[in-house]
Amino acid sequence: MNCHGDAAAQVKPGNNKMKILLMGNPNVGKSVVFSKLTGVHVDSSNYTGTTVDYTIGDINFGKQQGVMIDVPGTYSLEATSEAEKVAVALLEEGADVVICVLDATHLERNLGLAFELKEYPIPIIYCLNLMDVAERQGIKIDAEKLAEELGSPVIPTVAIKNQGLRELMQTAVKLSKERKDSEPKLDEEEKWNRIKEIVSKVQAQVDKELTFIEKLEDWTIQPWPGIPIAILVLIASLGVVVGGGKALRAVVLLPLVKQVIVPFLTKIISLVIPAGIFRNVLVGEFGILVIGIEWPFALILPYVFLFYVVFSFLEDSGYLPRIGVLADGVLRRIGIQGGNIIPMMLGYGCAVPAILGTRAANTNKERIMVAALVSFAVPCASQSGAFFALLGDKSIFALIFVYLLSILAMLAVGVILDRIIPGKSQPMLLEVPNLLLPDKDAYKKKLKLRMKHFMMDAEGAMFIGIIVAAIIAETGILNEFSKLLGPFVEGWLGLPKEASLSLLLGIIRRELAVLPMLEMNLNTLQLTVGAIVALFYLPCLSVFGVLTKEFSLKTALFIALITIVSAFLFGGLFNQVGRLILGLMG
Amino acid sequence: MPLAHGEKLSTYRIQALPSSHLLKVLGFRKGTQFTIQSKQPFKGPIVVKVGNRSIAIDYDIANEILVEEVVQN
Repeated sequence: MNCHGDAAAQVKPGNNKMKILLMGNPNVGKSVVFSKLTGVHVDSSNYTGTTVDYTIGDINFGKQQGVMIDVPGTYSLEATSEAEKVAVALLEEGADVVICVLDATHLERNLGLAFELKEYPIPIIYCLNLMDVAERQGIKIDAEKLAEELGSPVIPTVAIKNQGLRELMQTAVKLSKERKDSEPKLDEEEKWNRIKEIVSKVQAQVDKELTFIEKLEDWTIQPWPGIPIAILVLIASLGVVVGGGKALRAVVLLPLVKQVIVPFLTKIISLVIPAGIFRNVLVGEFGILVIGIEWPFALILPYVFLFYVVFSFLEDSGYLPRIGVLADGVLRRIGIQGGNIIPMMLGYGCAVPAILGTRAANTNKERIMVAALVSFAVPCASQSGAFFALLGDKSIFALIFVYLLSILAMLAVGVILDRIIPGKSQPMLLEVPNLLLPDKDAYKKKLKLRMKHFMMDAEGAMFIGIIVAAIIAETGILNEFSKLLGPFVEGWLGLPKEASLSLLLGIIRRELAVLPMLEMNLNTLQLTVGAIVALFYLPCLSVFGVLTKEFSLKTALFIALITIVSAFLFGGLFNQVGRLILGLMG
Repeated sequence: MPLAHGEKLSTYRIQALPSSHLLKVLGFRKGTQFTIQSKQPFKGPIVVKVGNRSIAIDYDIANEILVEEVVQN
């Protein structure tokens, strides 16, 4: 998700570094082929002037070196969507060879793109993937006959099991030395008739009994039992993230940080730096080296890591679009298409990729709505980590309450935004991918890339926030600030005046609005108020930045304003009502 | 009959459909046959099975696709 400029353009075809374009329809196992064929240097880039990201990786095959570009998946090359525009642009930049991945279980539709690629003067090799799934479904394809019909080599593969990939690369290297002329464009009618003819020649289908996976594929797309299954999956995911995160924290990370790393650093610093403000800023109660290690690594990292472990798994298994289909009926009531549930779920990890994820295929209205909903009421993994740390031990009900409130708020805000933002949402029209067990290599690469981006984007900002916190806390600026905000924080929100620090730091990172409250000995009402304020509060600086970049400063300021106002409004209301009820109960 | 009024597990053939690039590339043409796999509550999408693949179609689009039932024996 970094903007590296066009890494693809830096490698010109024709020199001894080979350039391979990996193309295909969406959901044909392209990324698995990519991760199996490329080495360790993989990065994602944004294609300049578009909202589409593509991945580029290095290849080493025998003596042959080069790069492979994972072109965004498309059904055709008519440049009617952003992804298609990028695919066409990458083709026009040129390459030594195109590997076109075909889904053996959906041959007819896949051949549409296969034919359009023939119009370019680049040698093509067809990778007939998912042969195992096809076999399971009773589909038999004669690859040799298909190669004859297409006029280019066809290599059957099961990428996930590494089958056929060696032969694929050998053929690709051989073909890259050859030249190919472009073929004339067929008109639509002619093309599909020709495809029908080819499919009837090369493909045979026998009826087979439904396998368990096929039954599961059917169940997960029916309201019953699909919706209960979806709820179970979400609860199980939450269980892994919360339970696993807590365990990791309590058993491994906290003892490591508190008993080993921090005492060690404190000892060293105490030897070198005399007691005083400077030493306090480094290793005092809010010291940079104390909090700066404990918060990001012991409190936040385990939750973020486990969130991506679970989310990437669900994503690669092909399950998420099914949730989108099931949720479409409800989400359409608030003016957005069901598919948007995926960036919204990603928002539970981090709002930044979620907002970038809204680029995918939606209308501008949907983009703004999803971005606003995510900024407004979806707690990110770091923030959730902080909530669990804050409320998990004290009151599990308060924790559940905060999450229910976030869902209610989303529905309410959705209904309001649907009225005030002009435009329409794009109706759902999507192919539901097969369910499959994610490939280990592709999964690991994705996880690594996500954690790398998290470390760079989030930990840096968090560390800066902690430095600011240490300085204002240890130098007495905080006291001045607390005096100023004190009456408001104490009177309206019912929190101790030190909580002003949370509000100040919350601007930098979401979870920093919560974490300082850990040290304040608050009662359950105060904790819940704190959590509510933090839930709705201004998203972190990175979110503000990405909103400005993706939309406009005006939109970012507007979202910032409504989030801050509602944070104080709802937090305060909850406090006042809560006190009233507690007072009545005596 | 509009596809939106079709019944689960019945098979239909397309008689007329709105011109849409995405419908076309997903393989929906006049004469295409499919079976309704599921219908979602609250006028959610209709999921149809064309060959081996499942495609979710928005309710309003499904309303614009005219189909006739294919009686299977």
